[in-house]
Amino acid sequence: MSPAVEVRLDGWLRQFGAPSRESVDADSIDHLIDALEERYPRLKFKLRDETGHLRRYVRVFLDGKDVSATTGVSTPLSDVRVVDILHSIAGG
Amino acid sequence: MTYRPSRIQILLGTRKGTYVVEGNARRTSWKVGRPAHVGEEVYHVIADPRHPGSLYAAVNNGFWGPAVHRSRDGGRTWKEVATPLLPRTRNRPNPMEASAPAPKPVANLWHIEPGHPSEPKTLYLGADPHLLFRSPDLGASWDPIDSINEHPARKDWAPGAGGACLHTILVDPRDPKRMYIGLSAVGTFRTENGGDSWVPTNRGVLAPFLPDKHPETGQCVHHVAPDARDSDTFYRQDHGGMYVSHDRMDHWIRIGRPLGDDFGFAVASPPAAPGRAYFVRLNGRDRTTGTGYFQVQEWNDDRKRWRALVRPNAFPGTFGVHREGISTDNLDPPGIYVGTTTGQLFVSPNAGKSWQQIPFAFPGIHSVAVANPASR
Repeated sequence: MSPAVEVRLDGWLRQFGAPSRESVDADSIDHLIDALEERYPRLKFKLRDETGHLRRYVRVFLDGKDVSATTGVSTPLSDVRVVDILHSIAGG
Repeated sequence: MTYRPSRIQILLGTRKGTYVVEGNARRTSWKVGRPAHVGEEVYHVIADPRHPGSLYAAVNNGFWGPAVHRSRDGGRTWKEVATPLLPRTRNRPNPMEASAPAPKPVANLWHIEPGHPSEPKTLYLGADPHLLFRSPDLGASWDPIDSINEHPARKDWAPGAGGACLHTILVDPRDPKRMYIGLSAVGTFRTENGGDSWVPTNRGVLAPFLPDKHPETGQCVHHVAPDARDSDTFYRQDHGGMYVSHDRMDHWIRIGRPLGDDFGFAVASPPAAPGRAYFVRLNGRDRTTGTGYFQVQEWNDDRKRWRALVRPNAFPGTFGVHREGISTDNLDPPGIYVGTTTGQLFVSPNAGKSWQQIPFAFPGIHSVAVANPASR
């Protein structure tokens, strides 16, 4: 059984039915997003594209550390307490 | 209760959302409605004439990806329906071992096309990178059309400046199995068997940016409009000029030479005035009108003659118009509607005799379409 991590979600994701906070049992970012998509189906393909990669402007922080551009969805969640899923500063 | 539109509507896809502009019967007074999809790039909004009141929008959110939205009440409310996606794979190939390139996700959605009237639940959708989809159930699900999406020549298909977009989808009104598509920078194709196979249809179209100026494919078609009287006739705005075909796109004849630089993106042909096509000529170098004022050129295919429709200097400025930026209604005389990349919307209710600019500054306009009032 994976330990539960606290997930804090971008406010813009409310439009897809997501809450602001959620507790999820998962051992990787991939599995964490799987669990969120199962609970909130309208989130599907919003955080990851259909090849499974994080979308370009989705940022994932593990206890404050951005892993989006490095290990991405395959990042393990061992010893992680808080995951923030945000959108990056972009656009105009 | 089924919504039946009684007023003509101009549908705008813009850089920052969807706008519906409702007109009076004379098409002289217009009211801009509350925008939808605020802040999102909307590449195309279209009405489904088989189901009055039904609209579809190709919404491309920079953060959360592309999505198809539908309204069943003329744009008052919208709901996301299914979005076509490539088959998902978790087995990402190791780049050091992979023999084939990793699949690219669907990027932007470019064009939604209602199917033939005899297939009232069919929709088509064109997307980047060079993808074509068919929905059998009004957008609840989408099937990839592998004859294009897995085409053996894809590896040689280059994108245009706007991306690898499949932006034009035309269904022959006489035969739902005969269709035409346009891709940048690949050219046009025709199918006679409902999409099982396709033939390139670019003969006569110049590719000024390639070493071979007249290749079988590689032309950068910008948009194609069908003629309402003759379903074998099409008007084409290409990177390499303005063209007409009278033989189902087997051959193209360049008609734009008298205009000098006959670059542009947009073309439309009105149901009530067959034999006419409207183009917005742009300078190839800067992609703007470049003359100091707004202008629309009418091609009369019966008389083989061009005519400028807007009084010079009536609307001073420098304007760009995207490939979906011009449309017509189905009324007589035809209305002409042009949206610019800087957010002006120009309307003529009488085939170009007179023009007005809607007094509203829209975000940059990607697409213009018309929802005609439902016939009683």
